[in-house]
Amino acid sequence: MNVPLAGKDRERWFARICEELRPDLFRFAFWLARDRQVAEDVVQESLLRAWRSRDSLETQDSARHWLLTIVRREHARRFERKRLKTVQVDELVNEESPELAVAEEGEVLDMRRAIMRLPDDYREPLVLQVLIGQTTQEIASQLGLTQGAVLTRLFRARQRLRRELGLGGPDDED
Amino acid sequence: MNCLEFRRAAGADPGHLTPEVTAHRDACPACAQYLRDLLIMDATIRKALQVPVSATAVSTSTRPSWAVAPRQRWLALAASLVAGVLVGSVLWIGGPRASLAREVVEHARQEPQSFAATHADPVIVDRVLRAGGIRLRPGAVDVTYASSCPFRGRVVPHLVVRTEHGPVTVLVLREESLTRPIRVREGEFRGSLVPAGPGSIAIFGDTRSDLSEITARLETAVEWIELPGAGQ
Repeated sequence: MNVPLAGKDRERWFARICEELRPDLFRFAFWLARDRQVAEDVVQESLLRAWRSRDSLETQDSARHWLLTIVRREHARRFERKRLKTVQVDELVNEESPELAVAEEGEVLDMRRAIMRLPDDYREPLVLQVLIGQTTQEIASQLGLTQGAVLTRLFRARQRLRRELGLGGPDDED
Repeated sequence: MNCLEFRRAAGADPGHLTPEVTAHRDACPACAQYLRDLLIMDATIRKALQVPVSATAVSTSTRPSWAVAPRQRWLALAASLVAGVLVGSVLWIGGPRASLAREVVEHARQEPQSFAATHADPVIVDRVLRAGGIRLRPGAVDVTYASSCPFRGRVVPHLVVRTEHGPVTVLVLREESLTRPIRVREGEFRGSLVPAGPGSIAIFGDTRSDLSEITARLETAVEWIELPGAGQ
């Protein structure tokens, strides 16, 4: 579907798209940064950048990919600029404890902690696949990897989660 | 395909199986169970990834105006803005300046949630100000809302400041130069566009408010700095 050409129609369309995608953009940013405040800032900055470049968006179908790319770059830019300190993952988990809420089922909470502990290289493609719903080809394009590399990382991510949560069997690869 | 190859393929993408993978699943009960376990785990992964998107994540204190649903109306003042019509008691200077004043009012009308905010994150305020090429003298005003908003093709700081008379909206319009102040009145809503630095500042609030003091404070509080990226 092509986007409206110009003017107020395009602005309204763009605003609607951003509003629809904003929760997913926030969640993606959250799982990149593992920090709620950073995620909020990243998304805000990303949407501002997207607004300034809105004329470069050509089709509605590419909007999600485009916005995710902006979020990813903004997170990378922030990380580079601020040299965000590396923290112990358990600290992160404890800091996030208000939202790793008691109201969540125990297994969801355990899974969330386990995902937090995944290396970035495993966590990011997993989030793009399971949360955002991208195909492995789209993920490869997003991350600048081969499809084979993406498949390997996804497999290893799941293997690690199975092991952490005690779901693995004797036949699971190390 | 052997079981190891199946588990690697299924482990990478359990929701999308090739015909070869499907055939192995149908022929191997152990691998079929492995896949079932993976799909159950993926359902848990999906739930776990759906972290709550709190009110601050789609923060009404930071959301650009284009993201605001026009139906949101939270306060009586906002309702009066919606109901206001540009007739009767409106004092406008004719021509382009009337258009500017009208657009400023319209912009505030689109962000009624800005009046409901009680606290703005200082980090976000700082970012909004820097993006607009300004600083505020420390302690000069109490900012309860800050957003970088598209306005006339540019991005401008939109602030709400707390005063003893209620919230006052401020738009910093670097690119809109004025030679003299313009007074604005529309129903219960009034304010001014005042020349400031290279451009102007729009200041408006409830008509019961005395805006003279906050206007004077803002005129001295705003310090103009270089826009980010300028000179590069």
